[in-house]
Amino acid sequence: MPMNELQIKIAQGAKPGEGGQLPGFKVNKIIAKTRKSTPGITLISPPPHHDIYSIEDLAQLIYDLKCTNPRAKVSVKLVSEDGVGTIAAGVAKAYSDLIIISGCEGGTGASPASSIKHAGLPVEFGIAETQQTLVMNNLRGRVKLQVDGQLKNGRDVVTLACLGGEEFGFSTSALIVLGCVMMRKCHMNTCPAGIATQEKKLRKRFVGKSEYVINFFKFIAEEIREYLAEMGFTRFEDIVGRTDLLEVNKEVSNWKMKNIDLSSILYLPKEAKVNDIRNTFPNIKSIESHIDHTLIKEAGGAIKGAEKVWISHNINNVDRTIGAMLSGEISKRYGEEGLPDDTINCTFHGTAGQSFGAFLVKGVSFRLEGDANDYIGKGLSGGKIVVVPPQGSTFKPEENIIIGNTSLYGATGGEAYIRGVAGERFCVRNSGAKAVIEGTGDHCCEYMTGGRVVVLGKTGRNFAAGMSGGIAYVYDKEGNFEYFCNKGLVDLLPVEDKADIQELQEMVSKHLLYTQSTLASKVLTNWEEYLPRFVKVIPFEYKKVLEELKLKELQRKLQLTEDDPSRHE
Amino acid sequence: MGDPKGFMTIKRKESGYRAKNERIYDYGEVEQTLNEEDRKLQASRCMDCGVPFCHWACPVGSKIPDWQDSLFRANFKEAYEILHSTNSFPEFTGRVCPALCEKSCVLAIHEEAVTIRENECAIVEKAFEAGVIKPTPPRFRTGKKVAVIGSGPGGLSAADLLNRAGHSVTVFEKNDAIGGLLRYGIPDFKLNKGVIDRRIGIFMEEGIEFKTNVNVGVDITKEELLGNYDAIILAIGAEQPRGLEVEGHELDGVHYAIDFLMQQNKVVAGQDIPKDERISAKDKKVLVIGGGDTGSDCVGTSIRQKAQSVIQIEILPKPPVKRDDNNPWPYWPNTLRTSSSHKEGCERRWSLATKRIIGEEGKVKQAEVVTVEWNKDENGNWQMNEVPGSTEIIDADLILLSMGFTQPVHVGLLDGLGVEYDNRGNVKTNDKKQTSIEKIFAAGDVERGASLVVHAIESGRIAAANVDVFIRSHKKVEDLSLSLAH
Repeated sequence: MPMNELQIKIAQGAKPGEGGQLPGFKVNKIIAKTRKSTPGITLISPPPHHDIYSIEDLAQLIYDLKCTNPRAKVSVKLVSEDGVGTIAAGVAKAYSDLIIISGCEGGTGASPASSIKHAGLPVEFGIAETQQTLVMNNLRGRVKLQVDGQLKNGRDVVTLACLGGEEFGFSTSALIVLGCVMMRKCHMNTCPAGIATQEKKLRKRFVGKSEYVINFFKFIAEEIREYLAEMGFTRFEDIVGRTDLLEVNKEVSNWKMKNIDLSSILYLPKEAKVNDIRNTFPNIKSIESHIDHTLIKEAGGAIKGAEKVWISHNINNVDRTIGAMLSGEISKRYGEEGLPDDTINCTFHGTAGQSFGAFLVKGVSFRLEGDANDYIGKGLSGGKIVVVPPQGSTFKPEENIIIGNTSLYGATGGEAYIRGVAGERFCVRNSGAKAVIEGTGDHCCEYMTGGRVVVLGKTGRNFAAGMSGGIAYVYDKEGNFEYFCNKGLVDLLPVEDKADIQELQEMVSKHLLYTQSTLASKVLTNWEEYLPRFVKVIPFEYKKVLEELKLKELQRKLQLTEDDPSRHE
Repeated sequence: MGDPKGFMTIKRKESGYRAKNERIYDYGEVEQTLNEEDRKLQASRCMDCGVPFCHWACPVGSKIPDWQDSLFRANFKEAYEILHSTNSFPEFTGRVCPALCEKSCVLAIHEEAVTIRENECAIVEKAFEAGVIKPTPPRFRTGKKVAVIGSGPGGLSAADLLNRAGHSVTVFEKNDAIGGLLRYGIPDFKLNKGVIDRRIGIFMEEGIEFKTNVNVGVDITKEELLGNYDAIILAIGAEQPRGLEVEGHELDGVHYAIDFLMQQNKVVAGQDIPKDERISAKDKKVLVIGGGDTGSDCVGTSIRQKAQSVIQIEILPKPPVKRDDNNPWPYWPNTLRTSSSHKEGCERRWSLATKRIIGEEGKVKQAEVVTVEWNKDENGNWQMNEVPGSTEIIDADLILLSMGFTQPVHVGLLDGLGVEYDNRGNVKTNDKKQTSIEKIFAAGDVERGASLVVHAIESGRIAAANVDVFIRSHKKVEDLSLSLAH
């Protein structure tokens, strides 16, 4: 966990609402590994945020990130648009350290043509509105404002600083310094400058050197310094938010400019006299009393010496994001590897707050006897989560909701066994976790790109919408699953393949083992009867990739068995 | 874009020249053509860049990626229409343009530019073959009259556009054939004159009037000109060659390149040149002074006339083979260029200044040259210094001076009209290509100095557009709707 800044990219300035698109044919092994995806499957970034439907959701995510890595600053990327000031005010109140306002001119390499032409607004609009709103509400002092969107020189930096920017992003210009010729073929894998391509032959054409970039930024810094000197300032922070230093150039007058009134962009709120107009103090939400501090202490032996520990706690719903800080601590020492399976075993009793077991890493097993709020297992990264109803409860678990919405959102690995029904959006954007659940709400497995999900009961509508990877096995008791499934990208098949049957059986067995589910036990005892009612949900794209992998493996084996002359040499 | 990966799988393939020992025995075009399939593949190499630098580099702003795609799809009609929309003479530039576009092609960074010029030429030839290029006379005449003086690429380009706009255009040419330097400057082995005749034929059917052997200013007076036409475009070129002011330059056997080249073109066209006027390189030791394109044409022509030997000397140092650091892509590369003529057998030397020409009985025998060094002085200006003791004598019995052209010929027409000149002696124009006299515009070398065919075409286009605006808004112009009503 060496990073010192984490960014939540709500959208990108050039392509708000659509996201950057990385076509499947460009996703090779390395990219797929970094993105926790399958090679050959199309990726979109940022994806639709199905975990963020309100500013509270965003506040929760910021809190999760701050717990995971308390040293890292959290930045939230917003785009220049009408009303961005209100959102930014919310983000500032949600304890983000940095807010970045992104303009429409930048980052068009991976943008859909419709976005390039029709979406986004210049960064000046967004930064001006954000600055004014934050100043008027006396929130400006708590956050640092960053801007990007086709900045090219020192003058851009100085102008945007006067409008409120404190930190500045450059990329197109830096890429051009490295040899980019604006081919606009980033999506084709044919970049002749060897930049936006995975093709080895083309990558050889890359002529850039790090020195060029260093030089470029030195010149920019020098230009900024010259402007500051010209304006009579010695420190950069003195011009931040000083819109009174800008004026409209009256000599620029053409038919386009004639009807434009820039006064609301150049407006300096009267609150600026008393309130901060730039970042003056850190935006701190105390996490001193977080339960993870105790967990880390108690699991000290396990973290340091990998000895097994068993911990038990009573919790209630003010205990949010349990396990994230512990996971952060383990990642710091062991990286992605984590600890051996089941090294730290925690049992919790009661109602868990939001983001229970968020980002849980390998080696940590959480067992919750009770129920959980939203976002359980958010970004699960190899850990194991088991949720069962408290002992002595009398309701039927397979008919009652036990965990909230948006569970296992964006999980990349690990396992989850839930004895009970989940709320909406179960396993959305799962890319590697294995989960067993006894029933779900709407949008289960939406945008899933990997992993396995077993649903032993009813699902809501829109199952598997936008699913591009992974497999779901659904027990279709009523025979009407097809109606609930969004078949845009997926195939519905019977579970026939031996490997599939084995996989399903193993997952249900584990579910029984961890949760003592009566449903799982029924399914396993009457396997011959239940199996034909399971439906395998698999995306076309994923199926193709799997088959290609199988074919490759076969070819490899064939080569080994054949009388290959080279083997005799 | 034909094939997004075309440039990765297909190599640049030039059609190349005819074999050396075949081509030097005739004046036919030296460049060959590719077959249709290969040409299509070459077109597929275009990457359809988001920012097409070829389009940026091309003086007429040719929409290169667009017509490469049409060519790939073998839609020659569409390709020609796109090509022709920015350039009246793709068949000329397709043959003789140094292809600024190719130097700025993104693939040229790795020296494998798309064969843009050859593709252009292939499109026009295919389009002519398919009968796509037909005369399209304007549907209405405005009743306005324009005189174009000079029938080089600049004048013809302006004439074509104005004629298409419905004005009645008369082109005056002092020589006996239309084309200016295209006709009598560029040798036949680079540009077959039939190509010019083909285009002129179309122009005549479209209604442009051509008057050859008319020396405006002598045969037609200034008053007649200004009285009979609503606007006049000067496109007389920059014909004043740079002279060599050294001892012996008046000797017999020292000629300006342009005279030599013009005569040969006339001979190829079937004209008889009186023996005493004929400049021939046959069995002579030829010295070409000046290392540019005209010099190269002299080399090729001398070789075809069976010269004993040909030496070409240049006063500037030998340019580098690859781009220097201060001359990056996508700018024009100041690198060594070797033409087909150079490959036909001549010696090329650089950094040589001519001191004097030595003759015998009034005839040239030798030239004395000296090696020079080029260094920057303290102000950063290049300074030429002779290297002491490096003088040498080169035997030569024909010396051709091809050191460029300094300015338009002032005496006669220009002085007679009384147009202003700029400090380089060219006709001074504003950004509308309008001269100091309201009614008179200028296009091509006459206003920008000797330059490329493609620059002249562009200049002609700008002049034509402004002449059109000028005569339409002119107070004497009748209402356009009136003329449409007839």
